[in-house]
Amino acid sequence: MGFALTFFARRLGQGVLIVLLVSFTIFALLRVVPGDPARIILGPMATDEVLEQTARDMGLRDPIPLQYMRYLGQVAKGDFGTSFIKAKGGGSMGGGRDEARGERARVLDLVAETLPLTLQLAGLALVFTALIALPLGIAGGLMAGRWPDKLALYASSIFVSLPNFWLAIVLALVVTAKLGWIPSIGYQNIAYAILPAFVIAIEMSPLFIRSLSVSIADTMRHPFVELAQVRGLSPRRIFSHHVLRNAAVPVLNLFGVQIGALLGGVLVVEYIFDYPGFGLLTVQAVLQRDFPVIQGIAIISTSIFVVINILVDFVSAQIDPRIEY
Amino acid sequence: MAASIDEPAAIAATAVAATPGRRMWLATWSQTEFKIGLVLFLLLVGTAFIYPLLSDIDPTKLSVRERFLPPVFLEGGTWAHPLGTDQLGRDLFVRSLVGLQNALMISVAVVVLMFAFGATVGLVAGYRGGWIDTILMRLTDAQLSIPLIILAIIILTVSRPTPFSVIVVLALAGWPVYARVTRSVTLAERRREYVRGAKILGASDSRIMWLLIAPNILPPIAFVAVLDIARMMIFEAILGFIGIGIQPPTPTFGTIIADGRKYLINAWWIATMPGGFLFLTLLSVNLMGAALERARNRLLRGTI
Amino acid sequence: MSERLLTVEGLSVDLVRDGGLVPVLRDVSLALEGRQVLGIVGESGSGKTVLAKALVGWVAEPLVASRGVVRFRGQDLLAMPPEARRILRGSAVGYIGADPGSSFDPTLPVGRQIVEKVQAVRADIDARAAKKRVLDLLDRVHIPSAARRFDEFPHQYSGGMLQRAMIVDALASDPAFLVCDNITQPLDVTVAAQIMRLLHELRSDLDAGIVFISTSLPVVCDIADELVVLSRGEIVERSTPARLLEAPAHPYSQDLIARNPIIWGTPPLPVPAEASPRVILAVDDVTKTYVVPDRTRFFGTQAVKAVRGVSFAVHGGENLGLVGESGCGKSTLSRLLSWVEQPDQGRIRFKGQDIAGMSAQQLLAMRKGFQLLLQDPFNCLPPNLPIGRSVAMSLQIHGGLGRKAIAEQVRAVMAEVGLKEDDRERLPIGMSAGQRQRVNIARALILEPELLILDETLSALDPMEQARLLDLFERLQARHGFTYLFISHDLAMVRRVCTRIAVMYLGKVVELADTRSVFFEPTHPYTRALLSAVPTLEEKPFKAADCLLEGEPPSPIDLPQGCSFAARCPHAMPRCRVEEPPLVDLGGGRFSACWLNEPEVSRAA
Repeated sequence: MGFALTFFARRLGQGVLIVLLVSFTIFALLRVVPGDPARIILGPMATDEVLEQTARDMGLRDPIPLQYMRYLGQVAKGDFGTSFIKAKGGGSMGGGRDEARGERARVLDLVAETLPLTLQLAGLALVFTALIALPLGIAGGLMAGRWPDKLALYASSIFVSLPNFWLAIVLALVVTAKLGWIPSIGYQNIAYAILPAFVIAIEMSPLFIRSLSVSIADTMRHPFVELAQVRGLSPRRIFSHHVLRNAAVPVLNLFGVQIGALLGGVLVVEYIFDYPGFGLLTVQAVLQRDFPVIQGIAIISTSIFVVINILVDFVSAQIDPRIEY
Repeated sequence: MAASIDEPAAIAATAVAATPGRRMWLATWSQTEFKIGLVLFLLLVGTAFIYPLLSDIDPTKLSVRERFLPPVFLEGGTWAHPLGTDQLGRDLFVRSLVGLQNALMISVAVVVLMFAFGATVGLVAGYRGGWIDTILMRLTDAQLSIPLIILAIIILTVSRPTPFSVIVVLALAGWPVYARVTRSVTLAERRREYVRGAKILGASDSRIMWLLIAPNILPPIAFVAVLDIARMMIFEAILGFIGIGIQPPTPTFGTIIADGRKYLINAWWIATMPGGFLFLTLLSVNLMGAALERARNRLLRGTI
Repeated sequence: MSERLLTVEGLSVDLVRDGGLVPVLRDVSLALEGRQVLGIVGESGSGKTVLAKALVGWVAEPLVASRGVVRFRGQDLLAMPPEARRILRGSAVGYIGADPGSSFDPTLPVGRQIVEKVQAVRADIDARAAKKRVLDLLDRVHIPSAARRFDEFPHQYSGGMLQRAMIVDALASDPAFLVCDNITQPLDVTVAAQIMRLLHELRSDLDAGIVFISTSLPVVCDIADELVVLSRGEIVERSTPARLLEAPAHPYSQDLIARNPIIWGTPPLPVPAEASPRVILAVDDVTKTYVVPDRTRFFGTQAVKAVRGVSFAVHGGENLGLVGESGCGKSTLSRLLSWVEQPDQGRIRFKGQDIAGMSAQQLLAMRKGFQLLLQDPFNCLPPNLPIGRSVAMSLQIHGGLGRKAIAEQVRAVMAEVGLKEDDRERLPIGMSAGQRQRVNIARALILEPELLILDETLSALDPMEQARLLDLFERLQARHGFTYLFISHDLAMVRRVCTRIAVMYLGKVVELADTRSVFFEPTHPYTRALLSAVPTLEEKPFKAADCLLEGEPPSPIDLPQGCSFAARCPHAMPRCRVEEPPLVDLGGGRFSACWLNEPEVSRAA
């Protein structure tokens, strides 16, 4: 109990630091680059005077750290700001000073609308990844150097060589357009998540196939596994109770590290399938220079990463008591 | 079988008298995958750099009469344009080859930059520890938590995409991984007896770092960097696809596929054929990389 | 024949490599009765681990049993169906290996793993009975607070404790036949002596035949009823311990006996060439504590007290030995002496000058005069440098010499330590341990140091090579007038070469005296315990039974109050558990840290 408490306290502290670091970097990056937020809001028609006035009202002429502190203050109150572009009910609203700022969509609402869809997609993708990677990786690890190992190697080399955006296009063309088996493009029900999830799974599985087969092969080489047979344990029991347990830790850690890559895959795939999730929101926000949305997304996605990694490390420490943090 | 000190000499004496780099190379070369990958790679790269020189087809030349020509194996295709033509009548084969040239040059440059910078920082941080190390670790934590692609997109949308800026952005987004790997290997290496031995002889820290540790730990990391060449080719293509990579008219896989996507139903080959080309290239690199990675694992395990 | 518990007839095992067969065991025949202990002695590389595993029917790739049978109560273990063999192996046969540290699954509590094994092979024992049995046995092998230990993980056990747990694991299913494969090998001498004592104890109330395999002839002779000598996969002699020691028939056995060290017997004690009063190295009340994070507390740390106030001086031309078991602080002390780490307190002076106060330049100059040879011949050389360049590096670091002069000196020094001219281009990886250690010596020697510290330098070498290098050290000392500081756990080696000896226990010097006093009239109970535990063939003046109690050395994180040896000391008094005895001068250059010396101290004063 004491261990769990100090563990979470310490790790959450570190996590907050990471989130601050990331959000400040992104914040500063967005402030120093060309492209005045006031201009994005007001549109190209506004006069320089109005522009300057708006910018000053919004605090855009203050030093960046000050702006950042102000922003953090709002975030602490649960206010992530409002989109520059998106209107409340969806759709974008460019330029024009007339619209009251209140009508623009709140960043938090945008995230709340899109995040569940993305979690669904990511969850499905992980299921597919497990279905592909577990059999290949375990067989490859147990029979190192023999044909399942080769199969795992070739399969993972092929999967990792398929560019995700290209695979997405080909699948959309063949499976949805030509054969009409599974719908994709856009979103109406969960069936629309199948193809995007499959593409993400193909992208993720090579890493897990390799990591699984390497860590299982390494564990099988450990003296205690050989000795367990001399001690009279059955091969099946050794595998299910000891080898899998020991091999799980590196794979879990890889999972934690790959959360970022998973998000990256989600982003590209959602963009191609026009899947209205968190990733599509990100791409649109970036392309439209919708700074408050980008900042909110950075904080939220980093927090997700941090929390999942804390959980992963906690589970790892439960499995292997030697792990220290 | 686990090797222990107590095994008969016959089992234990398997070490060959060669440097780690050479042993790793031998272990790599003995794998069929590596040879397949290498042959495929040489074939593709050779074609990519030689064919456009021999052919008189300009990859950016428009030809209204030759729009939407299908590949040679479909009805209406000709050997003049083996992969067909796009919506502007440009030859897809030559465009893919030039795209491959660009992708390869960019990703190799990115990996070299990432490796040089990341390995230097990782070596210094791992060897010296202290505040450099703390900063590096927090930085890489932060970097890992935000998808590389998001970072690259943000930087590129707000700056102007040129080949140079694409290289710098990808390298900037990717170097911390190298720093992290180098750091952790350096940490282990620093504790080895020969480092202590050199200190006792009076060797300076920079001599230990650059003349003793670096030649020992960097070659395996550099070998496996081959896998990142493939990864960076994909990233470069994604950037081009979203429209923030190298700009037209220079052909890149990303822009070709993005263009072709608009004509997917009527002229499916525009998007798929160059992608298939990219896939084969990536496969060749990844097969070589996988063989190198295996050889490295065996080296680390001490079985070669 | 089938009455016999175990018979091995004409067993040959081969190693399959590159399509060919390399013989590992050749035509081995053995027989074992119930309640008998059969000893097998063989050096590393003799094939004894392969034999040990074959005895429990375990011959796996890349090994094949090409001929012969292993019969347990008439059943051929090697030809049995795998499932039947597995059950038999776990229930009727017990195996204890040489590597307790990696014998258990590191992620599960030790107790649970033993229960798992009992249940896997004995359908008649239910979970509760199995647990009770394991707890009783943990108690039986003297593991303190067995109930708590049951739920602890392997990494929380010490090496000796794990070996006890392995014994429990083997005994838990009531085996009729037990294989002990080199079980004392990785343990410290006092811990090994405790394990051997336990085995003697168990033997009397165990209804099992035991095969006891070891590299150490004294250890095998101590317990075996009969023994065989294994050399290069063949049995070269069968005998009883008494007969073998008295009249070894085979030349290999004679050699084996001759190679055992003699501590109290005839060889003369080393006499210092000229006992100069000049102090080269002075260590003055040096302390080092490592701070490690404590995962159970928020921002908590634990202090590992590795070295606790050590003082001694090394005089010019003498050989000082520093002995102790693992965890005594000798490796930390070696790091401090080589100034790779700095002490928390205290001073180290080289030729009168405090190292802490030296400038970078002085430090570099000092390193020339003061070299340390490291323990591990496989890791102590830069793996990617040809050895000629490794040796030359010493001179390059200190500068001031041209390329030709360096090459000249490298050639000379390599010849002096017995390396060949064309070895210069070789990489360390292709060389034997002894050759690498020679390269190491050459690297130090080329700087013409005055003081050489040998930190377990010879531990990893076989006795033959060890003897050759000791001769080399003697020659070098005669020629260059070196002073040596030997840091080692090997009492016999120290006895052979050192003129004075310091004994360390848990970060402190507990006794410091001339070699004769330490070995013949030790004043500290720990020294006596250490001497009693050294495996030798000769009659010892100290018996382990009188000198050493059960119990583990305390952890340097959590040192008890008072004398740290009190818990294992047969002479411990109430005072010892409260007050820590200081190192006091007993006169005649002898120092000791024990309250038992109190009367003598007052007499001297």
